[in-house]
Amino acid sequence: MNAIEAQGLGKRYRKAGIGAPTLRDALKRCFRRGPMEDFWAVRNLSFAIEPGRTIGVIGPNGSGKSSLLGLIAGTITPTEGTVRAYGRISSLLELGAGFHPNLSGRENVFLNAAILGIQRADVLKRFDAIVEFAGLREFIDMPVKHYSSGMYVRLAFAVAVEMNPDVLLVDEVLAVGDTAFQNKCLNRILDFKRRGKTILLVSHALETVEQFCDEVLLINKGQLVRRGPPGEVIFEYLHTLLAHVGMLNVEEYGTHEVEIRKVRLLDRAGQESVRFTTGEPMYVDVHYHAQRRIENPVFGFSLKTGNGIYLFGSNTQLLNQRIAAIEGDGVMRLTINPLTLMAGRFLLSLAIHSWDHSVQYHRQEDCYPFLVQDDRGHHGIVQLQSAWEARPAP
Amino acid sequence: MQALITTWRHRELLWNLASRDLKGRYKDSVLGLLWTVLAPLFMAAIYIFFLRLLGGRGLQISMADIIIGVFAWQFTVQCVTSGMAAFTGNANLVKKVFFPRILLPMSAVLAALVNFLLMLVVQLPLIAFLLWHSGGMLSVWTLALPVLIVYHTFFNLLLALAISAANVYFRDTQHLVGLGLSAWFFVSPVMYPLAFIHDLAQKWPWLENLYQLNPLTVIITGYRTLQTGAPLVLTPAAIAGWLWPLAAAALVFWLFDRAQRNFADLL
Repeated sequence: MNAIEAQGLGKRYRKAGIGAPTLRDALKRCFRRGPMEDFWAVRNLSFAIEPGRTIGVIGPNGSGKSSLLGLIAGTITPTEGTVRAYGRISSLLELGAGFHPNLSGRENVFLNAAILGIQRADVLKRFDAIVEFAGLREFIDMPVKHYSSGMYVRLAFAVAVEMNPDVLLVDEVLAVGDTAFQNKCLNRILDFKRRGKTILLVSHALETVEQFCDEVLLINKGQLVRRGPPGEVIFEYLHTLLAHVGMLNVEEYGTHEVEIRKVRLLDRAGQESVRFTTGEPMYVDVHYHAQRRIENPVFGFSLKTGNGIYLFGSNTQLLNQRIAAIEGDGVMRLTINPLTLMAGRFLLSLAIHSWDHSVQYHRQEDCYPFLVQDDRGHHGIVQLQSAWEARPAP
Repeated sequence: MQALITTWRHRELLWNLASRDLKGRYKDSVLGLLWTVLAPLFMAAIYIFFLRLLGGRGLQISMADIIIGVFAWQFTVQCVTSGMAAFTGNANLVKKVFFPRILLPMSAVLAALVNFLLMLVVQLPLIAFLLWHSGGMLSVWTLALPVLIVYHTFFNLLLALAISAANVYFRDTQHLVGLGLSAWFFVSPVMYPLAFIHDLAQKWPWLENLYQLNPLTVIITGYRTLQTGAPLVLTPAAIAGWLWPLAAAALVFWLFDRAQRNFADLL
């Protein structure tokens, strides 16, 4: 038997119905003729998920991921089709929903647990562990309105993971708290996975999805675009959707006297890819077209982390590489060897400009996302050459 | 029936939500829970003072009647006002967590019921004293109060369900309800006894029938009958006033169940 089954699932929202409803709107609706302006958050979705699987759900913002989770959790009623989850469903979508600001942390733990369907006796038994997990021992009797937002979410998460569901829905909650707390959260979710629970994980943190999930659903415009092994689906997502539909926060400008026509990211074997490995080479082939003869163009690139932290930038000028002139079609290859980035998501920007920087021919900001994986277990963003040796004591 | 089963299964949550309402309401006030009793007592005192002042000697108004009326009225008002915000004030909860929606208005009514019972603890000795002062005593029928309270609570729940759902669909509800409550206050025997409309009833008997159809009329009169021994009104209209909410209950529950499916979209 499947843990979750969806059959022709669809959810329609009325565009007119967005915002606080009033009597006037309702009357207006009665007297208006013609079809309504509708918007399908999710449509024609059919899938089945076997128990014990960890499934990632990825897709651009507004693609219907959260609606899908709401439909499975039962908070949203489908317009058409059916969705069924077998067993107890719990969702980590509602961190802190139902907290009362005037009540103390202790009272809110019990309240929140009741809302999530956890027995009072179980909470009593596990109370110390909950408080310990949240790291709020000395603040537990303070009203939660005096909590910082991090404390608030930590307490909520600590309660939520006490649930013992068959199906766990997780919506982007791993982005809460500091790194130490995030690791604790990930461990808890791994724990659920080990205990054979079915997990549905919605996240923009693609490395996390790749690391955790057995399978990934790619959703766009409310449709299931693809389902398959994490690596392949994430590749398709980054490659086709993100860069080309403009779902990233990309910027593109310039005179287009020289145009970047096509960019191919190649791995060590010369295969087009969006996944690279720390310590191995990465090649970027920039296919350009110069509409007229351009003297001394400069090719440049820069790298940012997925969070927008600027890591490195360089160009042919800084490398003392003068290109005499370009005209028509051509390819410039950028080689980064070895790639000293650590596991994570990165954004590549490319630019072609004039020698004196006065003319930007074409600049593509953050247009090329890629993933880096590292199998040696180091931490951080970049790899530094490091070594240890024993020295005689002074 | 279905509602009863789900409620029973979630009784722990129901109680938690109600106690959240109760605790949250008076958390930072010095007098705390005492306000539950003080507020209606002050209201009753104000009505008594001004009715005496404005009505002159001709008016026969018993203090006991007013206190009973105001306290019962407060119970209904509290259910209506906190029921109104049951969903709109908990939008986050409704959108993100799945639990039977009916628990939210139910918990509002439950919290109001707890308040009302506390009010009764003060009210009963007070009424006994007032009656003793004027040479009477508390009726033995006072023991039957729980039956009436159950009925009153059920009626309030119907109101809370209807209003909480209506407010999700049309936010105009909160303004209409404000107006409706002020009108309802005057067409129910809250600060006057039933005898007050006697003259009116002589002139237009149909108007009196209409008046008796108001469930709050029969409920408040019922509270007075049980405690002071005032005669029970058993005209056909009054009996209809008792019965029609029970018949309407099925409709209210059905409508609520249909309406609640769209709550998450509308909030």
